[in-house]
Amino acid sequence: MACAAVAALTMAAGAQKLPWQNDPAPADKNQLVHFLYPEQIQVAAGQDRVVELHFKVNDGLHINSHAPREKSLIPTQLMVIEPPGLNIGPVNFPAGTDYTLAAAPNDKLSVYTGEFVVQAHVKATSGDHLIQGALRYQACDTNSCYPPRKVPVTIDVVAK
Amino acid sequence: MLSEDSGSTRIKGKAKADKDVKRNLLVVAVVVAVLAVMVWAGLANYRRRAAEQAKAKQIQAVLSQSPTKGTDSPEPVFTNPLANKQAPEFKLSDTNGKKVSLSSYKGKAVVIDFWATWCGPCKVEIPWLVKLRGQYAGQGLEILGVSEDDLDLDDPAALLKEKREIAEGAAKLGIDYPVLYDDSNVAKPYGGIDNLPTTFYVDRTGKVVGSTVGLVDRDEIEANIKKALAGGDTTKGQS
Repeated sequence: MACAAVAALTMAAGAQKLPWQNDPAPADKNQLVHFLYPEQIQVAAGQDRVVELHFKVNDGLHINSHAPREKSLIPTQLMVIEPPGLNIGPVNFPAGTDYTLAAAPNDKLSVYTGEFVVQAHVKATSGDHLIQGALRYQACDTNSCYPPRKVPVTIDVVAK
Repeated sequence: MLSEDSGSTRIKGKAKADKDVKRNLLVVAVVVAVLAVMVWAGLANYRRRAAEQAKAKQIQAVLSQSPTKGTDSPEPVFTNPLANKQAPEFKLSDTNGKKVSLSSYKGKAVVIDFWATWCGPCKVEIPWLVKLRGQYAGQGLEILGVSEDDLDLDDPAALLKEKREIAEGAAKLGIDYPVLYDDSNVAKPYGGIDNLPTTFYVDRTGKVVGSTVGLVDRDEIEANIKKALAGGDTTKGQS
């Protein structure tokens, strides 16, 4: 499992645009990857908890894993804002599976297809918190590639 | 009986009243004229925007997406929005900092290849384009690679880094034709490129005679190149 420090941007969550809201908000039908669940989690206040974030890549597509084999390829990344009282620790991405384009059989890619799970360590003080973030990905099918996109990730955290 | 003075006062009063009426009429006329100009400008602006929106919708509509059986990926159904139309003009910087305009290639057949450094299928196709350019350059073929890599136009340091990476990526692929940075959204008048590679074939008169989306086989690329070379001059490009 690839482990990475989350791109946790400790910005004050206000009316300010979030980093992944710079692009025109893509309608969900245009998303090639979907955030499945959880929408809400309950955690013990002050204790570290691993949260599993489930995503699904549309059939017929693949996205680069968090650790693509080539530098020029765009890795899948999780970007979140830490709300006050909530801390997000290391994020574990699954290892990619091998994928080869028929036209380039010698180039092995590291990709995610179908459903995949990203694990994030969450620690929160007592109360309700809202994690807002996005998964940035770049998808391709067998013949073409799509520009990088961001799928929103929003989770209610109830810490008791 | 009125005195002469009071008669004079009455005449003066009437003249003043007439003057006031005239001034009021003038003010009303000016206000009406200003309002009329504003309404006219508003209508003209509305009509222009409506026409632009209709044109944009028309271009977007041809690049529709329909799900393929057994998959929920957006399989593009591509109808070339520019078929038999003049290729939209552009002027972009190449990796050497030189400004390159499409119109400067009039008289040549031009392949406009939209690609990106992160696009795997583009990297399969590009070596074929390099070879085909070598093969057909003598007949008047040029290829322009338009990079669709993200450019951070607000951050000069990031922009410089991104441009350097594109140039390095192009060099790594052995690209020997001009590679252009799309820093002014040239992709938009070309139908809003959403899949890479997307390639347009432009004949010697500047007319789009073919296009492909996604990786296609080498023979199809070569056939389109021949069509572009033959277009506008039927005596050439028939090899």
